[in-house]
Amino acid sequence: MAEFIALRDIRKTYGTTVPTHALRGITVDFAAGEYAAIIGRSGSGKTTLLNIMGTLDRPTSGALAVDGEDLFLLDDDGLARFRNRTVGFIFQFHHLLPEFNALENVLIPYRVYRGRVAGDVLRRGKELLERVGVGNRMYNRANNLSGGEQQRVAIARALINEPRIVFADEPTGNLDSDTSEDVKALLRRINSELGTTFLIVTHDRHIAAGCDRVVEIDDGLITRDFRTADASEDENWQKLAPCNCRERERGF
Amino acid sequence: MFNFLVAFRFLREGRAQTALILFGITMGIAVQVFLNSLIIGLQRSLIERTVGSAPHITASMPDIVPEASLRTEDGRPALTQVVTNEGNVKPIRDWQPVVGQLEKLGAFKTINVVARGSGFILQGEKSLPVVLQGFELDRADALYHIRRRMTAGRYEVGGNTVLIGTELAAKLRVGVGGSLRITVPSGAADIFPVGGVFDLESQPVNESWVVISLARAQTLFGLDRGVTEVELQVDDVFAAAHWARDLRASFPGLKWLSWQETNAALLAALQSQSSSSYMIQLFVLLSVTLGIASVLAVSVVQKARQIGILKAVGAMTRTVSRIFLIQGAVLGFAGSLLGSLGGWALVRLFLALRPPQAGGFPITVGFGAIVLSVAVATAAGTLAAYVPARRAARLNPIEVIRNG
Repeated sequence: MAEFIALRDIRKTYGTTVPTHALRGITVDFAAGEYAAIIGRSGSGKTTLLNIMGTLDRPTSGALAVDGEDLFLLDDDGLARFRNRTVGFIFQFHHLLPEFNALENVLIPYRVYRGRVAGDVLRRGKELLERVGVGNRMYNRANNLSGGEQQRVAIARALINEPRIVFADEPTGNLDSDTSEDVKALLRRINSELGTTFLIVTHDRHIAAGCDRVVEIDDGLITRDFRTADASEDENWQKLAPCNCRERERGF
Repeated sequence: MFNFLVAFRFLREGRAQTALILFGITMGIAVQVFLNSLIIGLQRSLIERTVGSAPHITASMPDIVPEASLRTEDGRPALTQVVTNEGNVKPIRDWQPVVGQLEKLGAFKTINVVARGSGFILQGEKSLPVVLQGFELDRADALYHIRRRMTAGRYEVGGNTVLIGTELAAKLRVGVGGSLRITVPSGAADIFPVGGVFDLESQPVNESWVVISLARAQTLFGLDRGVTEVELQVDDVFAAAHWARDLRASFPGLKWLSWQETNAALLAALQSQSSSSYMIQLFVLLSVTLGIASVLAVSVVQKARQIGILKAVGAMTRTVSRIFLIQGAVLGFAGSLLGSLGGWALVRLFLALRPPQAGGFPITVGFGAIVLSVAVATAAGTLAAYVPARRAARLNPIEVIRNG
């Protein structure tokens, strides 16, 4: 397996007087085009790991390389450029800019670097919004959209620069089950159509079960790393124990 | 471009806050523009009143300094005090070639020659000191504007006919047709019929001036066709000192004095007025700057989430800091533009309340002053945004993303 994203002994410690070890030595590789879930209990360190892979956070020690490039040798602006060109983020809380409408929000990652929007990029933005199912809401202000609509806009935004990797943190965390199912299908479709690598932090047993690979983290260490294709559906369902993945029916 | 878009959206979104600070800047700049115009107008009118109808540069013969016969041991003159005889003025005999050369220069608005001397009028018990002004009437009128300010009689002199001011006429209770007996320091005395009365809007002038023909003054004071002074006006009053310096070099035999040298006290007053006006303007600008800085500092906190998101999706530090620098510049620019309009309105109001015809003085809002105000305020706004912009640029996206 080609190691597209390579993590080597990533450690993250918060605080100096009373240190909290969020990550205690993570070494893992992800291949290009992989569709993987990162699961674990609250506080297990999975979001920290995702943020470090997305270069939003720097590890206390360890190395991260994407496509052979050692990322933590870059300065802040270099990392910003990397995030802009190579990565798309889908945050749990959408994080749209309320000052802009849906279409403008989608175009922000493009405009942050290139300023003016050419016709084809504008078309791509509109197409993405159509594809995520909010084509009829593209001129609405971000804060006039429902939670589900905002999350769909956030997905379109993550894809505008045609990134090679999408990091998603609880992409369905705040959505009802129908919308959640839609979003799940959408991400999967993008993965198969564009070959985009997806790393999804989730509590949702259904989402995890739908991924090709599941990495489970507990107390800052990888405790399980398996392919869903290697076992039957029932076995997988058992592995994604309710203690790690909340039952959707219980709500959030 | 994207920086501008985000900056404008941030300003638009913080409507009340933006409106409030814009109002503050507008008021500040309005006061600044008004004050500046007022002071400039006031000074212009003051200068116009002081030197508008007065020579800007005068030439006379240097005082006669007697050669010291006693010397100290190291060779310096032992004489410590020179007593000059005011009544015995040395005339400029070759004034005609000097005037000819000055006319050729073409730099002077008016060139006047005068044979001036003191005298006194005896009337009963009273003895009134007067200044006899020996004028060539046309030259003198260009400088002193006497013709249009005659209250009685005609602007004509010849022989012994004289013109006197309103105050002197009132004191002596004489008018056109009356006559005066004037004695000069040399002891010569004569009877002078009054041909006209003028009002030059200055009490000392109206009280002491006796205008007489140049030729009569020359014989009366024994000047032998000479004059006592050559008086000049230049177009730009403030260039007078400069001209005086040049003339001193060109005509070293004469003593050249500019109005700035003879009105040092007025100049000092004007200067301190200007400095106090500058001080006020500086403080206005300072409070405008601090206002912008504090509003933007608050804005950085309010927009922390948006800044974090922008950085997460790849905005570089300079993009983020520019968003705030632009906001500062826009606030300074728009506020000062509105403020200039406000200042102009205040000037109109002032003029409506105190029109120049009713004892006020003319004020104009200079286009250059407005351009300067806007430029300075825009620069100050950008400067004010510097610290908030730096804070925004240093914001760590993870703090915002993690805390939702």
